[in-house]
Amino acid sequence: MLNREPPGRRTLATLVTLMVVGILMMTYDVRSQGTGLVAVLRTGTQTLAAPLQKTAAFVVTPVVDLINSLANVANMRQENEALRQELLEARAELNAMRDLAVRVELFEKIFDLRAAGSDLGRTVANVIGRPDAIDGALIIDKGTAHGIAMNQPVVDPYGNVVGTIRSVTRWTATVVPITANRQGLTVIVGEQEGSLVAQTGSILMRFDSFSAREPVLAGDRVLTSAGSLRFPSGWPVGEVVDDGVPTLDGLTLLVRPFVNPEILRLVVVLAWPPDPVTAGAEPTTTTTTVPEDGSTTLPGDTSTTGGGG
Amino acid sequence: MRVPRGLVVATLVVMAIVVQTTLFGRLRVVVPDLTLLVVILLALTRTRGELVLVVAFGSGLIVDLLGSSLIGLRALVFACVAYIAVRTRSQAEIGRFATTIWAGLLTFIGLVLLVVIGTLFGQTNLVGPEIGQRLIVVPLANMILAALLSGLVVRVVDRDSGIFGYT
Repeated sequence: MLNREPPGRRTLATLVTLMVVGILMMTYDVRSQGTGLVAVLRTGTQTLAAPLQKTAAFVVTPVVDLINSLANVANMRQENEALRQELLEARAELNAMRDLAVRVELFEKIFDLRAAGSDLGRTVANVIGRPDAIDGALIIDKGTAHGIAMNQPVVDPYGNVVGTIRSVTRWTATVVPITANRQGLTVIVGEQEGSLVAQTGSILMRFDSFSAREPVLAGDRVLTSAGSLRFPSGWPVGEVVDDGVPTLDGLTLLVRPFVNPEILRLVVVLAWPPDPVTAGAEPTTTTTTVPEDGSTTLPGDTSTTGGGG
Repeated sequence: MRVPRGLVVATLVVMAIVVQTTLFGRLRVVVPDLTLLVVILLALTRTRGELVLVVAFGSGLIVDLLGSSLIGLRALVFACVAYIAVRTRSQAEIGRFATTIWAGLLTFIGLVLLVVIGTLFGQTNLVGPEIGQRLIVVPLANMILAALLSGLVVRVVDRDSGIFGYT
């Protein structure tokens, strides 16, 4: 046994002080909603840790891949077979799409059409870690130096919604998956618009709609809605688990997300909205558009941005 | 040249955080909480109880700032776990097996506190789909690491090669 001073009143007093400080910090974080001083502290710490994390990730990646592969060795044969099948299907789809692309090109020439420039910028990033065993967030190896900004949407390589950028440093960023986010996400199932929220202790998410009028079938795809301010519209989120019929209270459904953040290795960050300044704008901000002919617009022509997720 | 104890402890904590967020953050089979384990093992050293608590609070705060949950949550939980560790460390010094069980129990207490306090503050991200499994796997992983690392951590921090050899 070591010869040490036994813990006394001073240790207890230190604990009480630290507990009070901790509770005050949590309360401040809740009240400030992660902005201001909290955001500065978070970004500062992540900036300091980023070089160490990136170096460590570079070193440990082969080890991680080896261990994860060994853990999955039993499933590898089946997975290879499934991937071969998927590759064949993808090739067939690619050929079909090539035909379509040629037809679209032809029509564009005939009708003199030009792309509206709505394509989103995409940044592919590697998942280099997670904060700890419990936290659902992902740390990725791209940051402001690669054009990533706060609150940008993140999807997987197949375009399925993963989450949003919570904090960003020059070289890394933290992604909060939709399954680990307190905020709801505005989505549509068929014609029904509602909010999708994570449930505690379950991979399934809950869809609530107060305006639903039509029934929904199991397997229906859930897409991001044009009413969402956090995601561009039309991106796949998940599928409905069971059939649902609207009642007087609206419609409540369980949705299985397409993405499991636990097994993600690559993500794609979307440059949306195209101008990050508008993302942080207050809900009441109005923007006025000036037509090409130079005439000023009427007050009724202003569009309002902001609102719920 | 003697390296100051504070520098050794700080290096240990930073190493634990970096390894936790990179290596263990991506492994799907073994998921320990290395930072919490280092905090627990620090209680076994000759470091004063108050300092162990402050280091625990600081380590938790750094993990909070690197993650997505509320700042102060892990700081508070790690400080509480460190206090229990300091109060009960005499039970852990019987031998390697006792240290292992003690570290596992403290990790479990830490995770339960994290989930309970996190839930009270609306942190749904802490109660994910695999929380039940994590509450078992993480303490078990920490027990294995405690069996391997406890002697080393105490010897490095106290700069005494003769202690905690379990010979």
